[in-house]
Amino acid sequence: MTNHHILREFDKGMISLKSDVLLMASLARQNLERAMRSLLERDIDLARSVIADDADVDDLERKIDQAGIDIMVRFHPVASDLRLVITSMKMAHNLERISDHAVNIAKRSKKICKSFPLEEVGLTEPLYSLAGKLLRDALLAYTDANAELGEGLKVRDRELDRMHKQMIATLSGRLETSPGRSENLLHLIFVARSIERIGDLAVNMGEDSVYLGDARDIRHEHSKASTPAPQGSSESDALA
Amino acid sequence: MDANSQLTPDDTSVFVQHLDFTYGSSLALKNIELKIPAHKVTAFIGPSGCGKSTLLRCINRMNDEIPGAKITRGGIHIDGVDIYQSSIDVVKLRREVGMVFQKSNPFPRSIYENVAYGLRLRGARDKASLDAAVEEALAAAALWDEVKDRLQESALGLSGGQQQRLCIARAIAVKPKVILMDEPCSALDPIATAKVENLIWDLKNDYTIIIVTHSMQQASRVSDNTAFFYLGELIEYSDTAQIFRNPSVRKTEEYISGRFG
Repeated sequence: MTNHHILREFDKGMISLKSDVLLMASLARQNLERAMRSLLERDIDLARSVIADDADVDDLERKIDQAGIDIMVRFHPVASDLRLVITSMKMAHNLERISDHAVNIAKRSKKICKSFPLEEVGLTEPLYSLAGKLLRDALLAYTDANAELGEGLKVRDRELDRMHKQMIATLSGRLETSPGRSENLLHLIFVARSIERIGDLAVNMGEDSVYLGDARDIRHEHSKASTPAPQGSSESDALA
Repeated sequence: MDANSQLTPDDTSVFVQHLDFTYGSSLALKNIELKIPAHKVTAFIGPSGCGKSTLLRCINRMNDEIPGAKITRGGIHIDGVDIYQSSIDVVKLRREVGMVFQKSNPFPRSIYENVAYGLRLRGARDKASLDAAVEEALAAAALWDEVKDRLQESALGLSGGQQQRLCIARAIAVKPKVILMDEPCSALDPIATAKVENLIWDLKNDYTIIIVTHSMQQASRVSDNTAFFYLGELIEYSDTAQIFRNPSVRKTEEYISGRFG
């Protein structure tokens, strides 16, 4: 819906709502990226800044919810406008949780950084790379109301689940053989768990983008499990 | 899904078939094809001048009174009967297709007489049966409790919302098949509007209701199906929830979401 609304205030409200979601997405991605960098580069200050900056994301979640409620109360949006308001509020909820996972990673990173270097941190890189792509495409699906891109995320997330399981198996094996490093290896298992959950949240956002674009509710459709991945899904390069 | 395709002839109360209607040389309705279901509320929406009220008035032949206005193609059937055939008694038709207008228009008589008027025209004389019919109509219009102790007072002393419900009572007293409502709440406050909307919900069990409204919220609240008109054409006709959640036609979405009109 590109035409202007008769009420300028409505257009202003909708533009502001979407801008806030995109700002929140940018902050959440930045927090995740810095949390992972703090882990991989052993940078405790970076981890601290992630923990501190999460409050900005929390504030934006409240602001977006309030703006969405205001628009519904004042303007009674319908059709694609209503879907945008509802989806934006759900996006904000998912982004807040992603930022929380970034904080979890940063907290684990701080603990890992305080002891000897842990070579296994490198195992998280491929997971993070894939989760980052899922997150990027979930945000793109929302921005462009691209239902096809959003719907494809569920299938792509299965690869992340597989990689996560493999990593947990590897780290569990090392827990048995290296009991002296068990605490840090456990921290790393929780980091992997957070990355895997970020993939799930990207899937949620993809499903919400399908609702935004096509007004279809595809949540909990287990039959979709057999759907092949859409061609051109960008993580296939990373997995090669 | 197009609401027309979901109805069988048995479900259809009002069938508008390839209707063209002109005011002089101006084509006001173009090839309207519409099946309106029995015992449902159907809303007509669209910007001013789109033809929705013209179509509403075609359904009880109110437009017959306008010089130069006529149907040039197609027709309208109610319960399978062509209402424009020459043998139709228009007065009788208007008893079967009642109408409630934008501005309440009670007769300058008592509350009782307003409701009894149509019944008397139909030949009712027995006071006991008239009393019973008046009470039944006022009760059905959710007005009985408010007026039962002052039935002989002037209808003009009622509030705007009460007057509108009295007009609905007057329309339903003669047991029509169809009730046409032309912006029935546009002059009412929110409380009176809510009472009329409650009434519409109750009445659809017994009547086919067609309502013209400029309020998108009202259309979404009270109607089962919605027809969107633009420049004399029927643009989209569908389940109301579908129209307001995900209309199929871009023009419909632009109108209901406030981008023109």
